[in-house]
Amino acid sequence: MPLKTVKTNTAEALTLEWVLHVKNYKLTLDKNRCVGCQICALACPKEAVKLEKQPKSQGEKAKKTKVDVDLTKCNFCGICDILCPYGAVKVTVDGKHVLSVVDKKSFPELIRKIQVETSRCPPECVECEDVCPLELITVSCLTPEGKTVENPVSLTEHEKQGLKTKVDIQTGYCPCCRICEVKCPEGLVRVKKFMHGKITIKPEKCPEGCRDCLDVCPVTGALYLSEEDEKVHVNEVFCVYCGACKVVCPVDEALELKRSGIDHTPVHSGAWNKSLERLTSPVEMTKELKTKGSLKARESAMRRVALKEE
Amino acid sequence: MPERITRKKAAAKPRKRKKETVRKKPRAKEPRIGVFVCQCGSNISSVVDINSLTKYAEALPNVVHAENMDYPCSLQGQDKIIAAIKEHKLDRVVVAGCSPRLYEPTFQNCVSRAGLNPWLFEMANIREFDSYCHQQKPIEATEKAKDTVRMAVAKARLLEPLKPIELPITKKVMVIGGGIAGINAALDLADMGFKVYAVERTETIGGYMALLDKTFPTLDCSICIEGPKMVDVGRHPNIEIISFADVLKVEGHAGNFRVRIRRNPRYVIAANCTGCGECKDACPIEYPNYADMHLGVRKAISVPYGQAVPLIYTINRDYCIECYKCVDACGARQAINFEQKPEEIEVTVGAIVVSIGYGMYNPEDLKWTGYGKFDNVFTALEFERLILAAGPTGGKVVRASDGSKPHSIAFIQCVGSRDINKYEYCSSFCCMYTLKHAVMLKEKYKDAINVYVFFNDMRSNFKGYEEFYNRAEKSGVKFVRVKLENRRVTEETETKNLTVYGETEDGKPVSAKVEMVVLANAAVPHHTAPELAKILGIPLGKDGFFVECQPKIRPTDTDVPGIFLAGACQGLKDIPYSVAQGSAAAAQAAAVLRKDAWVVEPLVAKVNEDLCSGCRICESTCGYKAINVEKVGEKEVAKVSEGLCRGCGICSSACPMDAITMPHYSDKQILAQVEAVCEKVRESESASS
Repeated sequence: MPLKTVKTNTAEALTLEWVLHVKNYKLTLDKNRCVGCQICALACPKEAVKLEKQPKSQGEKAKKTKVDVDLTKCNFCGICDILCPYGAVKVTVDGKHVLSVVDKKSFPELIRKIQVETSRCPPECVECEDVCPLELITVSCLTPEGKTVENPVSLTEHEKQGLKTKVDIQTGYCPCCRICEVKCPEGLVRVKKFMHGKITIKPEKCPEGCRDCLDVCPVTGALYLSEEDEKVHVNEVFCVYCGACKVVCPVDEALELKRSGIDHTPVHSGAWNKSLERLTSPVEMTKELKTKGSLKARESAMRRVALKEE
Repeated sequence: MPERITRKKAAAKPRKRKKETVRKKPRAKEPRIGVFVCQCGSNISSVVDINSLTKYAEALPNVVHAENMDYPCSLQGQDKIIAAIKEHKLDRVVVAGCSPRLYEPTFQNCVSRAGLNPWLFEMANIREFDSYCHQQKPIEATEKAKDTVRMAVAKARLLEPLKPIELPITKKVMVIGGGIAGINAALDLADMGFKVYAVERTETIGGYMALLDKTFPTLDCSICIEGPKMVDVGRHPNIEIISFADVLKVEGHAGNFRVRIRRNPRYVIAANCTGCGECKDACPIEYPNYADMHLGVRKAISVPYGQAVPLIYTINRDYCIECYKCVDACGARQAINFEQKPEEIEVTVGAIVVSIGYGMYNPEDLKWTGYGKFDNVFTALEFERLILAAGPTGGKVVRASDGSKPHSIAFIQCVGSRDINKYEYCSSFCCMYTLKHAVMLKEKYKDAINVYVFFNDMRSNFKGYEEFYNRAEKSGVKFVRVKLENRRVTEETETKNLTVYGETEDGKPVSAKVEMVVLANAAVPHHTAPELAKILGIPLGKDGFFVECQPKIRPTDTDVPGIFLAGACQGLKDIPYSVAQGSAAAAQAAAVLRKDAWVVEPLVAKVNEDLCSGCRICESTCGYKAINVEKVGEKEVAKVSEGLCRGCGICSSACPMDAITMPHYSDKQILAQVEAVCEKVRESESASS
């Protein structure tokens, strides 16, 4: 008998479901978090993700690209879930966030390295919370007993003694743009980008008055409007190389985006190689394979040495 | 038509005359014809005046002997004919009796026992064409009988001895479809010593029976009794299973069918796969399992169920993400090959057994059932997978809406079948499997469950079946007899409980509140049947099942000699009858294979290569692909494949060069008959003028 499938599309979310008697597979795309970048579409091994460019009307801001998933192609593997820099996709099995491709070592996880030296944080400082473009950081001030202190700014220096600062970061949704790191007045935040690459805008190729890339960029400051030539320029320190800008750019050569690598947990998987190849380039993929090869060679050499010593 | 005949005749005249004179010289003596008129009890004699017919026949030119007898087809009658042939030195025999379709072979046999060539025999049908259809007009019927005999005698004068055509036989056989019928056919044939190619479309043989929990009426475990047979097929030295394959093309004829098969890629090398399943454990991807009716899942590299034969894993590339974890797990066995391509092979076999089985109707479009809309409405096969211990729920019958055990279940019969808007026929085994389900539930859960069966007629008409119905009734199953119309199922939105409504024969409404509904949905012709019918050249009936040659006495033959039917693809039937038919088809296939040569009646088209212009008109008219233009030396000429030609004569009448003749139905012989029947018309015309 036919497979029972459900697809619902609301303003808030797109959900896909396989309703089996013993299992329920569900993919949820949070439309508020989705920025319409091309990562999932490129990474999907089944080519189930389609990007739908939204038409722009005169005088309005460019709209972010809509993402649609083909229910007949999707196999709920969760690769989009793993790779989405903004954590917009979630795949669940029977309501639990299960990624068997990670469990079976068929696919790596992204490495999001964010460290905050909270011990040295001034109690009243909430700079990182304020600058985070995606509002993923909550800073709270705690007493030594662990009680939350409301409005620490109003306290006297004496009262501030012994207070602790707690910084909660929703890491799963963080694209690691480093704005918090750069903006931290004390230099206590360390963020390592997981995606590396190069983005260039050739302002001479940009159409007059076009700011489409800037309109859709979710990371405030990665792209900015230059006062000199009134064109969009890049601040590569903040760019996360998601490609939302590239998708909406109306001129092919104006914006160039090349991803060169992705930080991930170690893996040996054809699916990852293919995703990597599509996200970066065949050259970068082969580079990674070569490094892996040498690692393997080194490991086996070590093993031989260990055997001899025994 | 007459115009055409005259044209042809005119064109052929000078040539033919010359030939005739040449041929007539050595045959100096006139033909000596014997006519035997059959009374057929009272079937013929009650209408036709037999005595006057016999006298009339005796007076016809070249007839040296005529007699009437009660049953010439009886042994006694045949002996009389043989004696008459010897006594009167007959060299042509005409029997006026029934249809040649029934008795021509018998009489041909009879005359050949008397030393005559069997093709020097002619039959005049005065039963089906005369006494049966003109019972009210005996005088006219007698006249018609005289005409018919006169025609037969006219043809008999020109009959020529023919030699049967003998074709070699390949001592191999193919069974298409590996369900329980096909399994039995394959095993029987293999045990008789024939090489069997068992072609299966899916990954494993076993068919529907392998998916069932129990079998009625004995409640034997289905896979426990089929599994060993599947293994036997897999291990038999004479059987080669060609699984995950499609039949693309069948050419040739009985004794020599050339079958083209496409082996679809499993992406696993069959020879290297040990069936250990380590790849399955490494695979991260799951997809709905069709063998579980999509209630459960299987891995992207897996077998549909553990007892699969052959035990070769298959990668479903629709779902695989190509992480190659299976390749790592397989290791040194090196059984996985992502580069595998479809492979086409050709085998030659002497006979084919078709046993492709059936499909199940999806009742989603019958809105009254609520199937597909209400969570707790299941089809019977889905229920079968639920109740099966090796099934996706481990044998727990649970509801889809909340996973709870239902306290009441209603079975609804005849969903799609016995419905003139869907499938007019009865699906034949639903009553019994519903009884099986009901008994299993009732005997397991006793009073903890209420079981209702909404039925219209209970069909339990084979060995042990009625007793099984009684057992169901005794166990406390509530049978509710309702009309097939005005049934419906409704759902309570909150509890997801269901109510089944019906109407009794006398129009009273009945209903039952239940927690689960199981539909006995119709079994339907297999979806590949229409294509296979085209490939094999065998007809499909109005109901979509293959048509047997004769429904009563040749239920496993098809219209194509050498192709036989077994199991539910011929008509829905349950396991024991499919098994029996599998063996029956095997015996018939063996009868073909055991012959030294495949003898074809010599009634195949003959091409005069000198006259043929290679225009290919015959090629385009032949419905059996039996005539093809080939290059012979410098010239292109039509060649007849004797095994394929059915002697229909279309090519002969279409040929503009008059190069094709039909032995036993030559222009000369047919025209002689036409002349004979027109004789009287001419007589009466001249009398009136």
